[in-house]
Amino acid sequence: MNGLAESPLNKTTARPLVALVGNPNTGKSTLFNRLTGLRQHIANYPGITVEKKSGLLRVGGSSIDLLDLPGCYSLTAVSNDERVVMDVLGGRRGFQKPDLLVFILDATNLKRNLLLVSQCSELGIPALIVLNQCDAAKRNGIRIDAELLSKRLGVPVVKTVATRGQGLSELKDAIVSALESPSVLSRIPWPECITQGCGLLRAGLQNSESSELSQAEALRVLFDSDSVFACGVSDKICLKKLVDSAHKSIRDSGLNPGSAEAVIHYRHLDSLLEGVVEASGPIARSHDSIDALLLNRVWGTLIFLSVMYVVFQSLYSWSAPLMDLIDLGTSAAQDFIGPSLSSTPALQSLVCDGIIAGVGGVLIFLPQILILFFFIALLEDTGYMARAAFLVDKLFSWCGLNGRSFVPLLSSYACAIPGVMATRTLSDPKARLTTILMAPFMSCSARLPVYILLIGTFIEPLYGPLVAGAVLFAMHFVGLALALPLAWLLNTFFLKIKTQPFILEMPDYRVPTLRNIFHRMWERGREFVLRAGTVILAFSILIWSLLYFPRDPSVEEQTTQSFLREAAANHSEVEIQDALKNPTSELNQVLTHRIDSAYIEQSYLGRFGKAVQPVFDPAGFDWKITVGVLSSFPAREVIIATMGIIYNLGADVDEGSDDLRSVLQNEKWTSGPRKGEPVFTLPVVLGIMVFFALCMQCGATVAIIARELNWRWAAFSFFGMTGLAWLGAVLIYQIGRLI
Amino acid sequence: MSGESESQNEIAACTLTLDSLRVGDCAEIESIATDCDRANRMASLGFIPGRMVRVTRFAPLGDPISVQLEGQEISLRRAEARIIRVKGGA
Repeated sequence: MNGLAESPLNKTTARPLVALVGNPNTGKSTLFNRLTGLRQHIANYPGITVEKKSGLLRVGGSSIDLLDLPGCYSLTAVSNDERVVMDVLGGRRGFQKPDLLVFILDATNLKRNLLLVSQCSELGIPALIVLNQCDAAKRNGIRIDAELLSKRLGVPVVKTVATRGQGLSELKDAIVSALESPSVLSRIPWPECITQGCGLLRAGLQNSESSELSQAEALRVLFDSDSVFACGVSDKICLKKLVDSAHKSIRDSGLNPGSAEAVIHYRHLDSLLEGVVEASGPIARSHDSIDALLLNRVWGTLIFLSVMYVVFQSLYSWSAPLMDLIDLGTSAAQDFIGPSLSSTPALQSLVCDGIIAGVGGVLIFLPQILILFFFIALLEDTGYMARAAFLVDKLFSWCGLNGRSFVPLLSSYACAIPGVMATRTLSDPKARLTTILMAPFMSCSARLPVYILLIGTFIEPLYGPLVAGAVLFAMHFVGLALALPLAWLLNTFFLKIKTQPFILEMPDYRVPTLRNIFHRMWERGREFVLRAGTVILAFSILIWSLLYFPRDPSVEEQTTQSFLREAAANHSEVEIQDALKNPTSELNQVLTHRIDSAYIEQSYLGRFGKAVQPVFDPAGFDWKITVGVLSSFPAREVIIATMGIIYNLGADVDEGSDDLRSVLQNEKWTSGPRKGEPVFTLPVVLGIMVFFALCMQCGATVAIIARELNWRWAAFSFFGMTGLAWLGAVLIYQIGRLI
Repeated sequence: MSGESESQNEIAACTLTLDSLRVGDCAEIESIATDCDRANRMASLGFIPGRMVRVTRFAPLGDPISVQLEGQEISLRRAEARIIRVKGGA
């Protein structure tokens, strides 16, 4: 899907290409934002869902293409994120090899950050080192001799504090001069057995279809033989033979092939950093005492719960005024534009009910997305997110998710859209995939009106408020209770992606900058509107047309005539004529509602609903419920309005409407074996609620899953959940009938 | 959980795995058990023979554990800690 997208990486431009490389949590993205400003382009790498951020850096009169590579600790390519790094650095798969690598290193943890640099020294690409977070290093009593480091590494070293923009102009100058007079990293001396192993691999793989391996790539294959990168180089059997014999010679020289690479690099770095880094006394870690509180079994848990409560409350309640405002704006736009198109009703309906409602339906998600990403940026930038993941990991690890799944799943209780987007914080692709698929099972706020309508109409009058409350509470857990075992099933039996170790580095606590937080919000909001929004809009126009057409005018005539015949029994002709002239009269409104209802019944979706009613018959749904359910596939909250139309009450009903409630209570089967029996029995009501709890009736969620994963997973999720929902409703109805 | 770690202490008195240490225990990394890509990943994070690790805390539910390594606070699951062999827990 993304393969067609034009990639700036694939075209050869006259502008030099500079790639930012570094570990996670080094301030790499902050620096990237600082360097490019808003001149950024976010896309996916072709064929995979790894985000590609590129931008333009302007220095003096020249412009430079800047590429922000995914953060990684080493070149070990287990995930697609890391594979992208290796492919770009190796200039493979159509990627343009960067002209300069800018390594962003966390000055507080230099040695581990240098491991990646040391691995990359084999590539022979010109490089530049940035020591970031120099202020924090200074506070921790770490002094770094940048000049000596530069001399030993063989490339220039620049000091920055990205969050405050310090050292930026020096960095820009350094990038320009490094492009003019490039210098490469000095290579590390490899033991004989490893050089031999690499030679063996390069010779052995020479005849395979891929182009010849470089020394750097041979090292990757040697040390990460089951990584995605190695698997892409050659077929498994041929590779395994070669790697096994190379490993044997490494083992014979007394090294463990599993850890040999890191051991050799670190040994080299130990001597390289001799005299470069000076720590005055034991490193005073400011966060130890905070951690003692925040990760405490009791207090840490309480604080975690309070933080998450605030996040959830703000998503669930505080977003409401903003969402109401967008709703108001949508109807104001409809009222403003609608009358001017009244001469062409089809166009009027397309513009008002299709386009404007669709745009409103996209924008309505923005407040929650912005609020959630405000908190995510805040939690990540302060360093709390990693702690939160640590606290709750055990709750999710058994079923293949991890601690970072918590925030996305919690957010999905408000709305699955920001929830699915929030899974970007999961670096493990398998856990991310599973979390995305589970997010729509969480009971989002759009399901609430359905629960309230049905519980208020059928359960509360019969069993009292206590049972009603309990049922409402239980409905919120149906999805979760099913989702986690499903995740386990999916992970254990179906997903063939390798599980990654869940290792979290606890970053230092930092004061977040507003600039960074707003950048994140802007970036996500923009991306949602531009990318997912267009698909959601297309969906809503499609569903509008299915509900509107074929719109045969005879439907209106027939309905009016039969209505007039009915009305003539109770009213005089004059009364009827007067009432029909006055658009606000009761008779006229009843007629309008009847016509709307008849149109829905005759629409393509209505016909489809009638045709597939037998499918829902085992769940006890009549055709009206079926059409209501089908019409709420684009967005489940429309069921109330649709039911209002179907039951001749007009679209302006809500879940508390007494009219709607009494109509539902009195609704009876008009034909078939159950003729005369009430439609909404307790098993049917519970069945409908479970159906709504489990079904993916949300076009926007389908679109966002397709955006975050691909259309195949979106279809899997949609059909899987619909099937489950059907099964749930049928089981409840059938069991309920037996009792 | 604690019962399990105690019994492991008795069985392997001199060579333990990182997951069997108690909070506050300090030990030297001896080796990484398997030569799979997990081993390489752990090693590149700094879990290499000869370095000292200290277990700082367990998560409220007992897993994952948090350790200090070269001044870095790192959290890892017991399943991953199990592939790291340590000696001299004290």
